[in-house]
Amino acid sequence: MTSRMLQELQARIGQDLTGFLPELILSGAIVLLLLLRFVPGLERRHLGWAALLAAGGMLYTSILQWQNLAESASISLFSGLLVLDTFAIYIKLFLAVFALLVVALTMMTGIPDGDDSGDFYVLLLGATLGMSVMASANHLLMIFLGIEMASIPSYAMAGFLKGRRQSGEAALKYVVYGGGAAGVMLYGISLLAGKFGTGYLPDVLSFVAANPTDPVILMGMVFLLVGIGFKLAAFPFHFWCPDVFEGAAAEVGAFLSVASKGAALAILGRIALGLADVPSLMIPVLAVFATITLTFGNLAAYAQTNLKRLLAYSTIAHAGFMMMALATLRPEGAGAVLFYLAVYLVMNLGAFAVVAFLRNQTNSEDLRDLRGLVSRAPILVACLGVFLLSLLGIPPLGGFAAKFQIFASLFESAQAYWNAGQTNYGNILFGLLLVGGLNTVLSLFYYVRVLKVMVLEKPLEEVEGRESKPLAVPGWQNAYVIVLSVVIVAMGLFWNQLSQASSSRGIGTFQPRVAQAPPAQGAGN
Amino acid sequence: MTGIQLQNYLMVGALLFALGLIGFLSRRNMILMFLSVETMLQGVAINLLAFSRYWGNLGGQSLVLFMLTVAACEAALALALILMLYRSRQMLDVSIWQDMRENDVDATIDEGPPPTAPKEEPLPRLTPAGPEPVRRTQERSHV
Repeated sequence: MTSRMLQELQARIGQDLTGFLPELILSGAIVLLLLLRFVPGLERRHLGWAALLAAGGMLYTSILQWQNLAESASISLFSGLLVLDTFAIYIKLFLAVFALLVVALTMMTGIPDGDDSGDFYVLLLGATLGMSVMASANHLLMIFLGIEMASIPSYAMAGFLKGRRQSGEAALKYVVYGGGAAGVMLYGISLLAGKFGTGYLPDVLSFVAANPTDPVILMGMVFLLVGIGFKLAAFPFHFWCPDVFEGAAAEVGAFLSVASKGAALAILGRIALGLADVPSLMIPVLAVFATITLTFGNLAAYAQTNLKRLLAYSTIAHAGFMMMALATLRPEGAGAVLFYLAVYLVMNLGAFAVVAFLRNQTNSEDLRDLRGLVSRAPILVACLGVFLLSLLGIPPLGGFAAKFQIFASLFESAQAYWNAGQTNYGNILFGLLLVGGLNTVLSLFYYVRVLKVMVLEKPLEEVEGRESKPLAVPGWQNAYVIVLSVVIVAMGLFWNQLSQASSSRGIGTFQPRVAQAPPAQGAGN
Repeated sequence: MTGIQLQNYLMVGALLFALGLIGFLSRRNMILMFLSVETMLQGVAINLLAFSRYWGNLGGQSLVLFMLTVAACEAALALALILMLYRSRQMLDVSIWQDMRENDVDATIDEGPPPTAPKEEPLPRLTPAGPEPVRRTQERSHV
């Protein structure tokens, strides 16, 4: 009797651990990175290669899972704490690719030097681990743990430039804000879990959907969304974002802006799609906050002269864009977000990479010091142009395809709601479409202003009567940004395959179960 | 459980949470801010434990265990950071850390100087307790 139970338990744990393999690789790599310092000869060496290997291992195992998992499958791991579906694996692939690219970037810019590299990559991989837990969290406990596992290393990374006072200030602001947000979110979790007697997310969401106007449930949901909004840097929880990005190194800013937004959007997507039955609650709330976040980010970016601060506001606006698609509460919207995330990864990382390379050369991140840069670093400026125009959404770049997907999902969902007789929600989504269009025009000015300053104005040295020398940008750095901009252009031209992955396979788990023919679908893969 | 109901526990939890939140928003001393965050978390812990008892399952208790662990990590990191910041400016007031802000927003400056800590009386010096004892020459050579 007991031996059979033991065997069953072993079989189940084996399955759980196989599904958890990408995260296990990261955990192993974290321990290994800490121990590598004891190996003679490696004490002061740069450990970027080990982090690259870990991210590569995570990528490889995630690809295997992506290929082997049926489209509509959703496997619950660790007795339902985590869920493994194509949606979660897509986000994990996204995180793994991003970790790989960021580690490569840090190896080029040398921001953690040899001495600090071990600590830095431990923090970076630890945050990635937390984010991949967020991506597959299916329990309130795991949502909390994932958010905290992603946040705590991020605090340390924000303050990693120990010598700079601004870096300490950035870390302080991040920790204070994050600590408060975590406390509020936990209170919300305690209310929800206590009210229902379970923290299992599908159960919690179905209970919420059954009784959405109960004040305790509403309070719990609002407090939970505070924590997610903080990770997403959505209005009104965005105040940390510009200061942290300005104080932290550009590489860290790139990591925070892309990875933690992706993971937070995964949780928000799970919650929004789980509450699709109560559009009266979720659609107006998400629509209002998406609109404010988007418009605020774009308006606040105008007056910025610090490039990192400008990009921080631009990332806030992009979070608003992606929230708009989630406000549809429909799988199309989630698919559009997945597509947007993939493009956003490349273009935002590219923009931050150019800022980091320019900082290495000129010691400045201020727009006024970068006047007329095109004559001094033509390749960097040209690639920055590609990234910024893609962030703006100019065809034929990837950003246009991403924005197009979002607008298309909004339009389709509006039509679906209209056809279902729910005119209000259709109108709200159509209004969001208009807001998105207007904001694209708004964002034109500040992106183009950066390019104008770099291309049309005279270099500072020429104004002061000195000779302006071309910057000695290493070839590797040029190659890095060129590759990223080629990818951006390719994503804008050939986006069928990516949209196949994001809008059909990636959201298989959210498709209504009734529409499936039982044996035909999902059996092939 | 006759006298004390679930509601009473929840009231205590809510009060602790609210006190922590008020302290967090109103304090300027970094250490007190983090103590307030801890108070908030303790309110949550009471909530979870009360609910765990009410439902008769261990879900709430396990959540509390994880919560305490995470809170300890966060406190460790925050205290290390506070120590680093204190070393660079010798002050625990958060409002001196406002170098980064929007271009058109002025720095927040207090109207008066910050209150200084009352000067401590120096400890009384002990009177020497007699003459220095004479040491043996062998011992002295080793010192």
